[in-house]
Amino acid sequence: MTDASDRRAAEERFQPVFSHLGAVAAYARRRGSRDADAVAAEVMTIAWRRLSDVPRDDPRPWLYATARNVVQADARRSARAAAHGAGEPGDLAPPPEIPELDPALAEALRSLSRLEREALLLVAWEDLTPTQAARSLGINATASRVRLLRARRRLRARLDEASNGSHDETTHLDLETT
Amino acid sequence: MSDSIIVRLRRANPVPEVATAPGTELFARITALPGDSRLVASERRPQGHRRAIVLAFAVLAAVVLASTAYAVSHWLGGDVVKPPVTKREYSAAQKQLTLPPGYSWPTFRFPPDAENSVTPRGAGGGHAVMAAQWSWECYWVAAIRTHDDAAAARAHAALNALLAHNTYEAPAGAPEDWTPSPLPTQPFMVYAHDGGLEWIRAGYRLAAAGDATRIAQSCRANVPG
Repeated sequence: MTDASDRRAAEERFQPVFSHLGAVAAYARRRGSRDADAVAAEVMTIAWRRLSDVPRDDPRPWLYATARNVVQADARRSARAAAHGAGEPGDLAPPPEIPELDPALAEALRSLSRLEREALLLVAWEDLTPTQAARSLGINATASRVRLLRARRRLRARLDEASNGSHDETTHLDLETT
Repeated sequence: MSDSIIVRLRRANPVPEVATAPGTELFARITALPGDSRLVASERRPQGHRRAIVLAFAVLAAVVLASTAYAVSHWLGGDVVKPPVTKREYSAAQKQLTLPPGYSWPTFRFPPDAENSVTPRGAGGGHAVMAAQWSWECYWVAAIRTHDDAAAARAHAALNALLAHNTYEAPAGAPEDWTPSPLPTQPFMVYAHDGGLEWIRAGYRLAAAGDATRIAQSCRANVPG
């Protein structure tokens, strides 16, 4: 095989991975990224450089796991910028496109552990199966189903408690820092 | 899964639609970067060759298990060191390199079971060079975005100095563990001869012209600290 044909083969393999660019950008936006398109581009760059690690049959769990790390890295940089004053990129990005949720739902989601919340949102917002969500979170499928069950029960209980509250406000859900 | 909680969450999805922009230009930009060398290697290697390598590694592992790390390091030519030496190299390198204001050296951790592992001499210094490089890149991104010309110039100068004094490119066809000879006294890192170093230089040229895109990608991917 020549270098040119190696590259063509790699590009062909990368093409179906890259087709999830929009889904990765949507994931980043749903998790409150200030620059979701840049996150998606970065995730795809990482995927290209580590293409042999990306599962060929189902790349989405891997892509979401990578996007999660990139979004969290941004959040850590922003937190550090806040500690050191201005001068960090996360602090200086364009105005955030943070998802808005009704306050009761946002509060109920905050009451879950980070892993439970992410498992639930991967299923509800990213449309993954519980098995795919488990893959993305690096846990086994049985543990994922148990966490999802608990998360749904806890979320329902919290929403029932808050059911007499006002629903006409919206609030921001900062998934990286809660 | 469609119980009422999931349905309610789905209805509250803040980004219900996924854009399907083709991103042709981005695809071309990404695939112009050096790809995953493991991919080509694994697809090229014939099955028989792979078996031979597995056998060779089995023999090597048996030899390694039957000896101490000290003995292995001498057997390999005295060019590899144990974790305490690598950590000392990392600490010493911190005295020779500078980080931008507000940054600190990340902790260098070996896995708990790595006490008998060996690492090429100089790897601790290389780790410090990378940490410094990524920190200055992040600092430069911030400087460009705030139009802080003085900070940008400081970052540019620091990164140029790292490239000039602490960075080497292996010759074409050199083995993966190539190191300069004689071994430099300053901390150093080595890039493979695959266009990666030129890509970084090009990113710095863009940044010097006010375009932070590439160094922002590097900063985001490598997030020091």
